[in-house]
Amino acid sequence: MSSNKIVLTSSDGESFEVEEVVARKLQIVGHMLEDDCVINEIPLQNVTGDILSMVIEYCKTHVDEEESEEAQTKLKTWDEEFMKKFDIKTLLQIILAANYLNVKGLLDLVSQTIADTIKDYTPEQIREVFGVENDYTEEEEAEVRKENAWAFDEADTPKP
Amino acid sequence: MSSPPTSPATTNGEEPLVKKQKKNPSQIPLLPDDVLVSCLARVSRLHYGTLSLVSKSFRSLIASPELYKTRSLLGRTESCLYVCLRFPPERNQRWFTLSLKPNNRTVANNNKSSCNLLVPVPTSNYPHAQDLGLVAVGSNIYNFGGSGPSSVSILDCQTHTWHEAPSMRVKQYYPHANVVDGKIYVAGRCIDLESSNWMEVFDPKTQTWEPLLLAPLERRRCTYSISKSVVIEGGIYMIGGDIGVVYKPREGKWEEIRSLEELGCLGVSYCVIGNVLYCYGSRNGIIWYDFKIRKWMNIKGLEDLPKLVNCDCVVRSVEYGGKIAILWNKYLRSGSGYNNKMIWCAVISLERRNSKEIWGKVEWVDEVLTVPVSCETVFALSATV
Repeated sequence: MSSNKIVLTSSDGESFEVEEVVARKLQIVGHMLEDDCVINEIPLQNVTGDILSMVIEYCKTHVDEEESEEAQTKLKTWDEEFMKKFDIKTLLQIILAANYLNVKGLLDLVSQTIADTIKDYTPEQIREVFGVENDYTEEEEAEVRKENAWAFDEADTPKP
Repeated sequence: MSSPPTSPATTNGEEPLVKKQKKNPSQIPLLPDDVLVSCLARVSRLHYGTLSLVSKSFRSLIASPELYKTRSLLGRTESCLYVCLRFPPERNQRWFTLSLKPNNRTVANNNKSSCNLLVPVPTSNYPHAQDLGLVAVGSNIYNFGGSGPSSVSILDCQTHTWHEAPSMRVKQYYPHANVVDGKIYVAGRCIDLESSNWMEVFDPKTQTWEPLLLAPLERRRCTYSISKSVVIEGGIYMIGGDIGVVYKPREGKWEEIRSLEELGCLGVSYCVIGNVLYCYGSRNGIIWYDFKIRKWMNIKGLEDLPKLVNCDCVVRSVEYGGKIAILWNKYLRSGSGYNNKMIWCAVISLERRNSKEIWGKVEWVDEVLTVPVSCETVFALSATV
């Protein structure tokens, strides 16, 4: 087995030395390696060290995707435990990193975790989490609230 | 994850990023739409009502073709229950869809609070719909003969918009629409009794109509208007009064149905799930029809289902993702009379244990909507979205 090492450097200057097979799980790195095989240090501009370390942890665990059912179940359990460590804000940073670094498995995993987390959120909570501005005008919002009184707690609904 | 300067958006930042920060003070990374779609596509459709209230951009995102493409690629399409109601004297009908209320706060505050709700479908310009002329194919609900004897309109359940489809070739009053192998067979009371177009076939893929030619013998049988119709094992059973025919499109065969007494008891509340005919009535609850022995059978294991009392009335039963959804009305007494009624819904999963037994399990029972007593249920059906 090739023990070629690649150094990945985060936007804040943290360096991670990883096996090439692990680095290739980051498709962005995979493409760079194909273009020019002498690279052994890769700067990753859009991801910080703390987030990159988590992405690498995921890639190390998923480096051999074994077909056997037992291995799959084990990985699934690991994924679940791994996801439990993060709050929603960290999950958003990880998903952005997974998107930028193009790690499909991780993107899917975090998408699912975020979906499971936000499904019981109120519209207001979702706005907070995603930093989404409520772009309904005042009149529209009143209309939306009237039509959708069901979605708001009674306390939230302004008295007519 | 607390130190602010490590956020990617702020690392290289001078001017523009500071601006962004003002807008986004809590260092929340903003997700690009495709990543957001990847998350939202994995959320059950039952929560989309809530998501649409977040912002206009969220509302358009959850009605976007990209989102539904992703749901379909991920195998996340699901059955969604739609109910069409009329509120006299208003002539217009209104559509509702089953949704879940955000429950993380309400449940904590009040365990009794209802989480399953029928919420209004946000669309305008509803065409008029007639109960049995409504049928769902995939994510579209087809409305045949609703706003005119040959009219066809389609409710796109992804975007919640209505559009017109090619008209029927023959004017049909009270048409019945049934689906076999993805094609819609529409038959009804023709104005022209001699018409050989008594039944027409619509292909949703090509959006085209084709007449179904009948031999004179069949034509005689079919000139009666249909009151009930169901599809079982690829055969369309059409019953009018005490006569009936079965049309089997795969074989192109017509057959007469004899001894219809057993099927005569079908009220408005019947549906077919996995080739089994179910009927929900106030007297017997949910029963199923065993075609082999021509007998109605009880479903076992439904002790948890609330019994209907006094003036409760059955509204509909609907195939809902392989399960049965039943809807009934419960009148609410206020002072000396009844002003409102509550629509209740129960979803029951079904399991055939052997040729003679079907067991049901009540998944949930909830009050889903309160309406004036005069409200009429036009129809209920599920689309796959």
